[in-house]
Amino acid sequence: MGILRLGHVDVAVVDLDLAVAYYTEVMGMLEVERDDTSVYLKCWDEPDHHSLRLVYSPRMGIELMTFKVEHSDDLSDLENAVSRYGFPVSRVSKGESVGQGESIRFETPSGHVMELVHEVERVGRLNGLLNPRPFVDGLPGIAPPRMDHLLVTAEEVGEASAFYMDVLGFRLTEQLLDGDGHQVATWMERSHSPHDLAIVSGQNGGLHHFAFWLDDWDHVRRSADILAYNGIQIDVGPTRHGITRGNTIYFFDPLGTRNEVFTGGYRPDPDFPTITWTEDNIGKAVFYYEGELNDRFMKVHT
Amino acid sequence: MGLLRLSHVEIRVPDLELAVAYYTEVMGLFETGRDGDRVFLKCWDEHQHHSVVLTYAPVYGLGHVGWKVQYLEDLDHYQERLEAVGVLTKRLAAGEWGPGHGEALRFESPTGHLMELVHGMQQVGNLLPLTNPPPRPLNMVGVAPPRIDHVFLTAEDVGAATEFFSDVLGFHLTEQVLGDDGFQIATWLEVSHSSHDLALVTGPNGGLHHFAFWVDDWNDIRTAADILAYHGVRIETNPTRHGATRGHCLYFFDPAGHRNEVFTGGYWVDPDEPPVIWTEGEMGRALFYYDGVVNQRFLTVHS
Repeated sequence: MGILRLGHVDVAVVDLDLAVAYYTEVMGMLEVERDDTSVYLKCWDEPDHHSLRLVYSPRMGIELMTFKVEHSDDLSDLENAVSRYGFPVSRVSKGESVGQGESIRFETPSGHVMELVHEVERVGRLNGLLNPRPFVDGLPGIAPPRMDHLLVTAEEVGEASAFYMDVLGFRLTEQLLDGDGHQVATWMERSHSPHDLAIVSGQNGGLHHFAFWLDDWDHVRRSADILAYNGIQIDVGPTRHGITRGNTIYFFDPLGTRNEVFTGGYRPDPDFPTITWTEDNIGKAVFYYEGELNDRFMKVHT
Repeated sequence: MGLLRLSHVEIRVPDLELAVAYYTEVMGLFETGRDGDRVFLKCWDEHQHHSVVLTYAPVYGLGHVGWKVQYLEDLDHYQERLEAVGVLTKRLAAGEWGPGHGEALRFESPTGHLMELVHGMQQVGNLLPLTNPPPRPLNMVGVAPPRIDHVFLTAEDVGAATEFFSDVLGFHLTEQVLGDDGFQIATWLEVSHSSHDLALVTGPNGGLHHFAFWVDDWNDIRTAADILAYHGVRIETNPTRHGATRGHCLYFFDPAGHRNEVFTGGYWVDPDEPPVIWTEGEMGRALFYYDGVVNQRFLTVHS
C-alpha cells in the first residue's frame, strides 16, 4: 500500500547521443525505446519499461522523479493527500507518457516535479522467468541490476522532508543536524532500505545524484576499474558512507550529472528508530573512511 | 499492513549449553535473555529482543516460527482469516510467552508447523548508538551475521501449503520448481520484497529444512566458511550459488543437527511480479547453480 520504490528519473541532457553512449556502453543499461527527443533505458534486472529517461534539452537538470505505487487506489489516495496539503495535482492519462499508464504529477516543496504511477508497461527481466540464469553475461560496462535511489537538493530540508513523510508516507531513517538542531540532510525510505529518497540543503529543484544498485563491494571495485578505463571523472570513492552504511563511488556522466553506484546498508522495519548525525561528525557521516567532505561533493549539483 | 518479515525461530535442543556456545561463539549471536530452559538470542543489527530462541527438549527440531506484523490490528485481521479457513488460533499477551516477547497470535499451519504472528516485541536496539554510529561494531566473535533472513520448511503438499500462505497470510510467490506433472515440488514466497522469507519443499509435514542468516556479501560467505571449518562445524556444501533466488549461500549444521545457512544476494521484487518457474529437469541448477545436480542429502535431511 502506498509508494513502493523509485520508478524512474527523467534527466535533461545537452547531447543525447553522448549521454546514450555513456549510459549504455559504460553504465551498461539497455536502450528500450527512443523518440525524437528522448531515450528510455533500463537496467538488466528491471521488469518495468524504463528507469531512466534522457531528454534532450539545452539545459541540464532533473525534469521528473517518478515513484511506483503498489495499488491503483493509491493514486487517488495520494492525490487527495497532496491536494489537501495545498499543492495542485494533475493527472496524466494513459498513453501520454511512454511505457506507463495513468499517473499523477505535482510539484513538491523542494521544487521538484514528482510523479506517482501504478501501471507500468512490463518488458520483463533480461533473463526471463523460466529457468533463469542468476546473472547476465556479455553486457558491456558496469551493468547494475537496477536503479536504487536519488538525492535532491532543497532550500528548506526540514519542510521538504515533512512533506514527503507526512503527505507521502516516507519514513525517516537518518538525519544530519546542524548545531541548532535543524535538518541539513535527510534520508527517507519506502522500500525497507536505508533510503529511496534523500534531501540535502541546496537550491530548490536540484539533483545531487541518482544511484544504481550493485551486488556487493567486489562489484564496486569492478565498477571503479571500468569507470577509470573509460576516462570517467570520479568524484569520490570507492569508499563507505557512515550514513546508510553503504559502499559507494560517485562520478559524473559526460554531461556533468552525478551518478553513484551503491551497495550494502541495512533493512529497516517501519518502526526503525531514526539515526541522527551531528554536524561535527559530518565528514564521517558522509565519507566514513576519509572523515571529511570535498567541496565539489557539497557544491556541485545539477 | 500485514506481515513484515521473519521475526524469530524457536528450535528445540537436547544440550542447551552446547547450543548456546555454538550460536554465540561460532555464529556470533548475542544472548539477550534466559528463563528456565530457554535462551533468547539476537543478531547484532537487529533491534528486537530475539530472533533465535533455544529451548531445552530431549528431541531436536522446530519449536515455532514467528512473523513480525506491522500493526497490532493485524493480529485481529489474521485471526479472523485463519479461523475462517478452520485454523485454530490462540492469543498471547505481551511477555506471556517469554521475556521481551510481543503480543502474539499462535496457530498451527496446515503444514503442521507451529507459527505465530507477533507485534510489539521489546526493542533492545542494535549494537550501535543512534547518534553518529559507526557502520558496524568491532570485535564480534564468529560469523556475526547482521540479521536472520528466512526459513525453509518441509510439507507433504507444497501446492496446498503455498496456497494457504498466499491466500490467508498474504505471501507472494516468487519462484517455484514444477514437476513434469505440473505439481509444485518447491516454492519460494516473500512478504518483504526480497527473493524469499519462507520457502517450502516436499517432505514430511512439520519439518524444518533450515533457517538462514543474512550476511553482507560473497566475501562474508567465504569468511563464514573459514570460521565454521575452524570450529569443526559440519559444513554440507561449499560456498555456492542458488539458481532460485540467485543468492550465494553456505549450508552447515548446528551441534543439535539443525541445518543453518548463511545467505546473501537475491533481488528486490515488486508484489505484482510473476513467479519464476524452474522445470524438474533444471531442479539441480535451481538449488545449486554451479553444481547443477540434485543433491539428495540436501533434499532428504531435515529436522
